[in-house]
Amino acid sequence: MAKAKTAREARLERDRNARRKKKIVMIVQYVLAVTVTVIILFPLYWMISSSFKSQEEILLPIPTLWPKEFHPENYISVFRRGNFAKYYYNTIVMTVGILVSQIVTGIFGAYGFSKGAFKGQNACFIFVLGALMIPSQVTFIPIYIMCANWGLSDTFLGLILPSLVSPYYIFMLRQTFKAIDDSYVDAAKVDGLGRVGIITKILAPMCRSTLFTVTLVTFTNGWNSYFWPKIIAKNEKRRVLTIGLAMLKNTFAGQGTMNNHEIMAGAVVAILPVVILFFIFQKYMLTGYSKAAMK
Amino acid sequence: MEKKPLIKPRTMSAVKDFVCVVPALIFLVVFTYYPICKLVQISFTDWNLINETWKYVGLKNWIWLFNGSGTKYLLNSLKVTAIYTVGELSITLIGGMALALIFNRFNRAFSIMRAVVFVPKYVAMSSAAVVFLWILDKEHGIVNYLFSLVGLPAVDWIGSRGTAMISVLLLTGWRAVGYGMMIYLSAMISISSDYYEAAALDGASAAQRFFKITLPMLSPTTLFLFVTTFLSSMKVFQSVDILTGGGPYRSTEVFVYKIYSYAMVDFRMDRASVMAIAFFILLLVVTASTFKVSNKNVHYDS
Repeated sequence: MAKAKTAREARLERDRNARRKKKIVMIVQYVLAVTVTVIILFPLYWMISSSFKSQEEILLPIPTLWPKEFHPENYISVFRRGNFAKYYYNTIVMTVGILVSQIVTGIFGAYGFSKGAFKGQNACFIFVLGALMIPSQVTFIPIYIMCANWGLSDTFLGLILPSLVSPYYIFMLRQTFKAIDDSYVDAAKVDGLGRVGIITKILAPMCRSTLFTVTLVTFTNGWNSYFWPKIIAKNEKRRVLTIGLAMLKNTFAGQGTMNNHEIMAGAVVAILPVVILFFIFQKYMLTGYSKAAMK
Repeated sequence: MEKKPLIKPRTMSAVKDFVCVVPALIFLVVFTYYPICKLVQISFTDWNLINETWKYVGLKNWIWLFNGSGTKYLLNSLKVTAIYTVGELSITLIGGMALALIFNRFNRAFSIMRAVVFVPKYVAMSSAAVVFLWILDKEHGIVNYLFSLVGLPAVDWIGSRGTAMISVLLLTGWRAVGYGMMIYLSAMISISSDYYEAAALDGASAAQRFFKITLPMLSPTTLFLFVTTFLSSMKVFQSVDILTGGGPYRSTEVFVYKIYSYAMVDFRMDRASVMAIAFFILLLVVTASTFKVSNKNVHYDS
């Protein structure tokens, strides 16, 4: 009798210990997670808070955590003196151009490689996959020479042309289309639907979430692109946000003063569309990259 | 009598299917495969953008790169890129794994914190770079202010040889670590809890569970992250361009930056081409060898 009781007590105590241990683990986890989050968030916080400070305030020997008084005119200055309105326009046109073209060529290409049937289909697909191995950081030299010869320096066409087709987009969509049963496509064919109808009425709606995710990634990549715009659009006329921002320091340098408050305002303005998209479509954007990891 | 169609319907259908992929194929020929061939041609010429004409010069550029005055820059870029790659791999893989373990809890607070940790991935590199330039500023930067609070001397983060690469890695690591975490977490969730229950019955400690179950089960994910991060960090350009411009004393002059500056600063298309081809071959070798290694050492769960 006594023996059984001690066994139960021992078990109770073990449970209590386990629970206490779990609680400690949880507290440690919370502390670490909050610390990491604060550290990661800090640069963004600092960017926003600095963007509202005056020049005197950012030069104070002891930095202020929060602006003493707000100076939203930094943002106006970015548009007035920094020509950000033009950069914005250029970036939007470039991004939309790339996006539309990659979606159209991507969807049709993916259809051809998944639901189509023609001789040499596999060879053609390997051709597309092979292109994934050839980085633009290598091919930009001949492409630049070509585009410059065609008179495309500082034009929208020049900005967009080398990104008209994305092998990555084709590949991702092809994998998704392939997972859809052929019977849907066959049934649609029997009903007299053409290829465009099959894509817009059957495949695209069924693969909505992948389509959406890949499109968001494409938009972000277009908006944030830097390497090619730097090469092809060197003049003010077709400069995009990413380049304009990096050059903001030089633009204002005439005064020879520290203008990080204005540069921070420019940085906020440049990332605003993508960050807003991120918080609206968080679900899709968080899975966007991990989907690629799943193969 | 039945009219015979000019082209068989089946052939017609195949033609239409083929037409769907034609735009992509044409594009890839013109903007991916042709440039690679053109690159090889340029590497045998003296093409630069200052002179009107060019002529073939044989192996001159190749000799310049591998056994001439270009060699030291090639080796320097190799070294710098290797340092950067190791740094970014460590941050993404080890940092990402550590964060995945910390953030491995599923409630509202944690899901918000996870989103915050992931956000930098979507912050444009140029915005992030100017923010880090400001944070790491020698005279007015907050980091040096914090250093002064604990009695450390001010560091010229961007401008000195020893710390320029650290600055670049801080910037890219800030953007990459949440990505590593997300990829690891989504893989961790899919590990069957059976393994952990069995291990608990056998009295395995937390460390044992991590090293004997979690880590091996995550090896395909680790491989994926390793390969993609390896390849992308070899192509690093933008952070270096904005932060340091390859300096100081070429201490951050990575491969792509060097190719870029040969082509777009010196206008030496010939030298840039040779360097680009060397870089391309290096990438192919790296890819091939990682896949070879992976076939042996990765565990795939059914």
